[in-house]
Amino acid sequence: MSGLYSLRDADRSVKLAALLFMLVLGYAYIFAFFMVKQYAGLSPTDVATTYVPQRVEASQLPEASKSTTRALDLSSMEPEHHHVDTQLLIQDSHIHIMIYAIIAALQTLIVLGLGWSAWWRDLVILTAFGSGALDFAGQWLMKAGIGGFAWLTIASGWLMTAVYVVVLLGTLRAVFAKNETRGASA
Amino acid sequence: MRIPSRKLASGALLALALPVLAGAGDHITPTVVLKKQAEVIKATLPGASSFFLKKVEIGKRDLSRIEQSGGFEPESPDVKFYYGQDGSGSTVGVVLFPQVNTQHGPFEVGLTMGPDGTVRDVTLTKATVETKPWVEKAAGTGFLEDFRGLGAGQAPTTALERLRSADIGKMPTYSGKQVAKAVEHGLTLYGILYAGSGRAAGGSSGGGP
Repeated sequence: MSGLYSLRDADRSVKLAALLFMLVLGYAYIFAFFMVKQYAGLSPTDVATTYVPQRVEASQLPEASKSTTRALDLSSMEPEHHHVDTQLLIQDSHIHIMIYAIIAALQTLIVLGLGWSAWWRDLVILTAFGSGALDFAGQWLMKAGIGGFAWLTIASGWLMTAVYVVVLLGTLRAVFAKNETRGASA
Repeated sequence: MRIPSRKLASGALLALALPVLAGAGDHITPTVVLKKQAEVIKATLPGASSFFLKKVEIGKRDLSRIEQSGGFEPESPDVKFYYGQDGSGSTVGVVLFPQVNTQHGPFEVGLTMGPDGTVRDVTLTKATVETKPWVEKAAGTGFLEDFRGLGAGQAPTTALERLRSADIGKMPTYSGKQVAKAVEHGLTLYGILYAGSGRAAGGSSGGGP
């Protein structure tokens, strides 16, 4: 057996805790998706608009002010785009990165009991921790004015989802599969 | 090596408790929309049958004038002015949404200017969970009415005086002052970028609609 323990052979309470953790985490991820969609958007342009600072750089401004005018339909007026300033990003970072690490650690506890091969186990663990770190690396790079890094934040979000799906499937398999080891020794 | 289930559960519980303990610090609370911008535009431009958005990209010369006369740097390189016209094509007023960012979060107001270039209305549009009760308490003094009739470059002394004498507490007074600052910023932006040179019409950046 590879790993630290076998979830398949573990006590029913351990299986219950692992399964419920993954299901409730998925429940939270559904709302996380809607929150991201609402506040930051899902496209690179929207994400960059949320994080890239709207600095007034005198050197980059035209000499004279320029204006454009267009008709406005108040019923379809778009809400102001949510903007994450540096203060808010510091606040978001210190909470989110820590929670990402805790979630990755708890997922790792499950991964260690799934009987996966060492390379696959390590890859999933690395991705679980790395995706959270890269999510905020992308946000800080955008905050530094490099809007092109929106893709990094978006990609790390999908990586996080991929890790979740892989660990959930592994958990369901371990919890609900027939216990061959115990069955064979009985 | 096997880890006993009890130890595993204890570790998980401790891990879950950490963010709760860490989150007990002092933070900017989430932004609260007190009134939607579209509602403010519609409500404070009565008689308007058509609405327009004028987006001004600030140039170096106007930025310098804003910094000199207003003493602040705009939050964004673009400023939006929403104006309405009646059936005959006359402008009935202009609305902009100046915002002041503080350590307690943003304070945004809807500042409506009449065709004579003076303040017609000030509406609170954005605060935070923390500051909402403060600004609402400040608004309860009626100081928002005192901004009416102010023109570009005029200080809101009556509104500030009412706040000082209202005895509403430190933070509501502070919030009221931030609202007054947002109005002052808005008046500067209106005077320079919309009306032009502080006049009600004409100017370098477009001179109205």
